[in-house]
Amino acid sequence: MTALSFYISSIKNELIKLKRTFALWLTVISAMIFPILFFIAFFMKHKTNTPKIGVNPWDYFMTVQIENSTPFFIPMFIVLITGLIMQIEHRSLGMKYLFALPIPKWSIYFGKLTIVIFAILSTYAYYYLAILVSGLLLGLLHPDLAFLNFQPEHLNYLRMLSISFVASLGIIGIQFWLSFRYKNFVVPLGFGMFLAIIGIIVSQAPQSIYFPYSFSVLSVSLGDKMPLIFGVSSVAVFSIGCFLTTSILGYLHIRKLNIK
Amino acid sequence: MNQLIVHTKNLNFSHNKTKQDIENLELKIPKGSIYGFLGPNGSGKSTTIRLMLGLLKKNSGTVALFGETFSSKTRLQILNRVGALIENPSLYDHLDAVDNLRIAANYRQIKSFDSINEVLAMVKLTQAKNKKIKEYSLGMKQRLGLAISLLSQPELIILDEPTNGLDPKGIIEMRTLIKDLNKKYGTTIFISSHLLSEIERTCTHVGIIREGKMVYQDTVASLKEATGTNLKIAIEVDKPTEALSVLKNLKIENCSLQDDFLQIEVKNKEEITEMVDILRSEKITIYQVFLKNNLEELFLSLTEN
Repeated sequence: MTALSFYISSIKNELIKLKRTFALWLTVISAMIFPILFFIAFFMKHKTNTPKIGVNPWDYFMTVQIENSTPFFIPMFIVLITGLIMQIEHRSLGMKYLFALPIPKWSIYFGKLTIVIFAILSTYAYYYLAILVSGLLLGLLHPDLAFLNFQPEHLNYLRMLSISFVASLGIIGIQFWLSFRYKNFVVPLGFGMFLAIIGIIVSQAPQSIYFPYSFSVLSVSLGDKMPLIFGVSSVAVFSIGCFLTTSILGYLHIRKLNIK
Repeated sequence: MNQLIVHTKNLNFSHNKTKQDIENLELKIPKGSIYGFLGPNGSGKSTTIRLMLGLLKKNSGTVALFGETFSSKTRLQILNRVGALIENPSLYDHLDAVDNLRIAANYRQIKSFDSINEVLAMVKLTQAKNKKIKEYSLGMKQRLGLAISLLSQPELIILDEPTNGLDPKGIIEMRTLIKDLNKKYGTTIFISSHLLSEIERTCTHVGIIREGKMVYQDTVASLKEATGTNLKIAIEVDKPTEALSVLKNLKIENCSLQDDFLQIEVKNKEEITEMVDILRSEKITIYQVFLKNNLEELFLSLTEN
C-alpha cells in the first residue's frame, strides 16, 4: 500500500459520503444567491445599467459582483461548509471507526481537507458559471444591456476569483481544524461566524493584515495599496502561511487525540 | 499454552487525574477463543477496547496483538487483522448499506464487490441492502456494523456490547452468527457485555472487570466449577418460618430464609424431591420451586462491593 493509494481511497470515500447531503446542495445554492440578486437588480434597473456605446458591459457586471459579494460571503460560506462536511462524520460516530482502521491518520485528515477545498472550489466554479448565465439571460431579455454584443474577459475575472480563494485559505485551515476537533457543530460555527464579522469590522485597521478573517475583505479593498512581500501580495503570503501552519498543527494535534 | 491473540500487561489509563479508569489490567485472549469481557456499566470495558485499538493513549503498560506490541510503527499491520464494532456502529445514515460497505471496502483496499454481497448475506441484510440506514432498526444497524467488521475476514473481531438494543430474536441470531464465525473460520472473537447470560451462552473464556481491575479471568467452564458442585434452590411456601423450623429440626444444614423464600443447598436433583416430600408431609403448601443460578451470584459477588 502506497501513501498515494491511502490518499486516493480516502478522497473516494469522502465523495461517497457527500452523496445526498445538505453540504453538497449548499455548494450549489450558495453560488446562486448573489448572481440571482444581481440579476434581479440589473433586470429591474436595466435602463440605468445600460453601458455607453462601445463599452463592454461584462467588466462592470463581473467586477461589481465579485468585489461586493465574495469578501463577505466567502468567509461565512467556509465556516458553514467545513462544519457541515465534518458533521457527516461526527453525526455517524465515524471518528472512532476511522481511527481504528488500518489506514494512516494523515490520510483521514488531509483527505477530508482536500474535499473541503474541492467543495469550496466547486462553489467558485458554480458562482462564476451562474454570473455568466445570468449575464447572458439579461442580454436576451434586455438587448440594450449589450451582454450579447461583447465577450467577457475571462482571465481577468478568474484572476480576481483566484485572489479571493487564496485569501480565504487561512480561514479554511483554522475552521477545518476546529470542525474536525469539536463534535458540537456550534463551536466551530459560533467561533467562525463571530470572527468573520470581526474580520469585516476591523478590516479598516492596518493591523488587520495579520488577521486571517480580514483577508477576504483586504484582498479586494486594498487593491493597488496591497503591501508586497518579495513581490507577492502580503495577504496571499500570510493566508497561505496560515493555511500551512494550521493544517500541519491540526494534523499533529488530532494524531495525538484520545478518541472517546 | 494457547497462543495469545491479545495480551495486555500492567495496562493503566485515566481520563483525568482524580480517577484511575484502568488499573494494572492483564488481559489474555487465547487464539480461537470466544472471549467474553464482562463487567457492570462504567467498569472500563469500552475504555479497554479503545486502548487495545490505539484510540486512547495508555498511561503505562503494554498492549500486544498477534504477538506484536501495539505502537505507531505496528499500528497499520495490526489493525489490518482486526475487525471492530465499538458501541453503536458508525454508519452514514443518509447512505444505504451497500455504500456503507463500499466505504469500508475502499478504506481496506478490497476491490471485489462479491465480498460486500457475501457479508450482507451472512448478516441477512441482502433484502435491505438498498435501503437508507436511517430506515434501519437498531438490530439491523448492529448487524450491518458486524458485516462491516467482517469484510476483511479478520483474525480477531472485537464486538462492544453487540446485543445492545436487540430484541430476543436478534440476540439469538447474533449469538448464532458469532458461534458460526468462530467454528467455521476459527476467528477469535472478543465480546464485551454487562449480561452474564450472554457470555455464559456464547463464550469459551471469560474476563470479569470491576472498576478498571480484572477480578477474574479463565475459561467459562472453570468459572462454573468455581461456583461449587452443590445446587441452590429457592422454595416459595405459605408458611416460611414454620417450614424453616421443620427443616432445622430434621438437622438439614444450609437452609435459610430470604425474602420469605426458603433457600436450600442440595447435593443433587434427587434431594429436591426429598425436600418437597418433607414439607408436604407437614401440610406446608408449596407455590414454586426453582434452581438458582450460582454463576449469577458469583458474578454479583465479584462485581459488587
